[in-house]
Amino acid sequence: MNKKKLTYITIGVIVFYTCLLIGWHLYDPSTSFTELQPGADHRPAGHIRKADDVLIGEFFMKETSNQPSSQLTGEWPCFRGINHNNQTSKSSTMKWVEGDFEEIWEVETGEGHAAPVISEGRVYVLDYDEQLSSDALRCFDLLTGQQLWRRWYRVPMKRNHGFSRTIPAISNGLVVTIGPEGHVMCCDKLTGDMKWSIDMKKRFGTEIPFWYTGQCPLIDHDQLVLAPAGKDTLMVGVDVKTGKTLWGTPNTINFKMSHSSVIPMTLGGTQTYVYIGVGGVCGVSAEEANRGQLLWSANKWQPSVVAPSPTQISQNQVFLVAGYGAGGALLQVDKSGTSWNASIKDSYKANEGMSSEQQTPINYQGTLITILPKDGGGMRERLAMYRPTNLHNPIWTSAADERFGLGPYIIIDDRLFAFKEDGELYVYQLNTDSMKLLKKQRVMDEGVDAWGPMAYADGMLIVRDSKTIKCLKIAEDNTAKR
Amino acid sequence: MEKKDKDQLKSPMDRRDFLRTCSAFVAGGVAVASGGLLAAKASAKEGEVFWQIDPYKCTQCGRCETDCVLTVSAVKCFHANKVCGYCDLCGGYYRPNVKELNTAAENMMCPTGAITREFVEEPYFEYTIDEDLCTGCGKCVKGCTSFGNGSLFLQIDQEKCQQCNECAIARVCPSDAIQRVSNAHAYKLKDHA
Repeated sequence: MNKKKLTYITIGVIVFYTCLLIGWHLYDPSTSFTELQPGADHRPAGHIRKADDVLIGEFFMKETSNQPSSQLTGEWPCFRGINHNNQTSKSSTMKWVEGDFEEIWEVETGEGHAAPVISEGRVYVLDYDEQLSSDALRCFDLLTGQQLWRRWYRVPMKRNHGFSRTIPAISNGLVVTIGPEGHVMCCDKLTGDMKWSIDMKKRFGTEIPFWYTGQCPLIDHDQLVLAPAGKDTLMVGVDVKTGKTLWGTPNTINFKMSHSSVIPMTLGGTQTYVYIGVGGVCGVSAEEANRGQLLWSANKWQPSVVAPSPTQISQNQVFLVAGYGAGGALLQVDKSGTSWNASIKDSYKANEGMSSEQQTPINYQGTLITILPKDGGGMRERLAMYRPTNLHNPIWTSAADERFGLGPYIIIDDRLFAFKEDGELYVYQLNTDSMKLLKKQRVMDEGVDAWGPMAYADGMLIVRDSKTIKCLKIAEDNTAKR
Repeated sequence: MEKKDKDQLKSPMDRRDFLRTCSAFVAGGVAVASGGLLAAKASAKEGEVFWQIDPYKCTQCGRCETDCVLTVSAVKCFHANKVCGYCDLCGGYYRPNVKELNTAAENMMCPTGAITREFVEEPYFEYTIDEDLCTGCGKCVKGCTSFGNGSLFLQIDQEKCQQCNECAIARVCPSDAIQRVSNAHAYKLKDHA
């Protein structure tokens, strides 16, 4: 082969591959693609949704059967039960289940700590569905755990120790919820029909706390009592049937919303709504004559973060408690004529006396029961009993290996059920000055952050950890079989 | 001698008769074969079995997309309009935690854009599956089942299925949701239940 021919062949090969390379770069295979862009579903311009558009209660779904399978009548209708003291009693015809409690049912939930309420054989919980970024009020059959209906609305939010927080309230055939971002929703408790809603951020200028709203709704005298603690309004009363505002308490004391809830008490002979906000503690009249009037407030004790609610310990004394180093305080409220005086009689750090980080203490027959916080010194996370006259030295504590973290506790008759935050249930026999461990039972395998309060009705105890709700049969009827 | 050779070479059947006979045989054979095949097919239709997914057992594990012998799986998402809630906020349509409720690609659950929807009236949308684009991944089905009515579900498209003796997906299905079904139940449709 001569040299000239070889040169032509080389040049030809180079040109061929150069053209191939250029052609490959120039070829656009995406010409047959269809771009997915906003508007492909032809949603009308006036109906475009923004990320923060919340339409409370906009979606509803009911199951094939939305009737419970039983005629149960037990009630645990709100945060801390009917009497707002976290105590209840089983029916006199019921006896405690011996041995391990049977697990009746369990359901998965979104990550969070929202606890259920029980009414007429139905269980209600305000869940959060991460997939749909939605608060979801779910109604279950108490006997079977079968979901009967659910109503939800989109609220995009970031995980912060889970999502869900609060406990619904039931009254007058209605169920009221407060979502983590302060969205109040009222539905028919049987059908789930939407009644009315309030966005506390929009209406009252509420600043939602860092760990979201922990406030549970209070229904008193057919009125929903909210503490938005917004720019202008400290507390507000809403007609639970219509959603109309009946009264409002001006926020002259500049409190902000905490994770605590409003608790009704009778102090100095006056029905009072007591609320610990960020800024202090206050009392608002619950009397019909001047409902909504700010009676007193105290700001000497004002932790930056408060989760527990106030606990009444006498006719004019309230025990206040908060975590993260805040400790406890004793509030005394005195009435003189028409004027009120609220003063902090005692306050101390968490390791110096009775305290609690998250759960609200129980006043049981003259003794105060709590789980001490993580910064509670050597007795941290133990169950403890105190006399109101001495909040610094416990009269009883659980054993060194009986530590519950931020777990909840509830009293049924003369038994205290404490749920360790890893999902182990402890049952104690209550005496006036001590407790005796009766039994313990592992309920959640590898339970995580079981912080949601428990609920009890009709022999069934409902517990939860961060992602699962379980129903346990703890008492059974002596006389009748269902 | 020459005459004798000519007699010996003469065929007992002339060419025309030969062709006529052959044609008759071929035509008869074709007729018999066609009849036989038709009869066989007709009888097989009654007893023939197909692979199909039980949507109530399916856990949307994703293996239907990856284990079918076909390059693009014969498993497709089906939609039961009668069951659908026509929700704006559809767990099978939008990815989790989307920031905006619009049809931009980054918000879509379906990786191939096989689910489209049309506005009906506030707040309802009608959903449609483009079967040619669907790869049977089941992501939308999982989203719809976990919170919606479960109107989206997986089925084997019998037009595409090769009816292998041993279905490669059935072999790995963790919930034993793929079974042989009769012709009368070639599909397990939720809106016909």
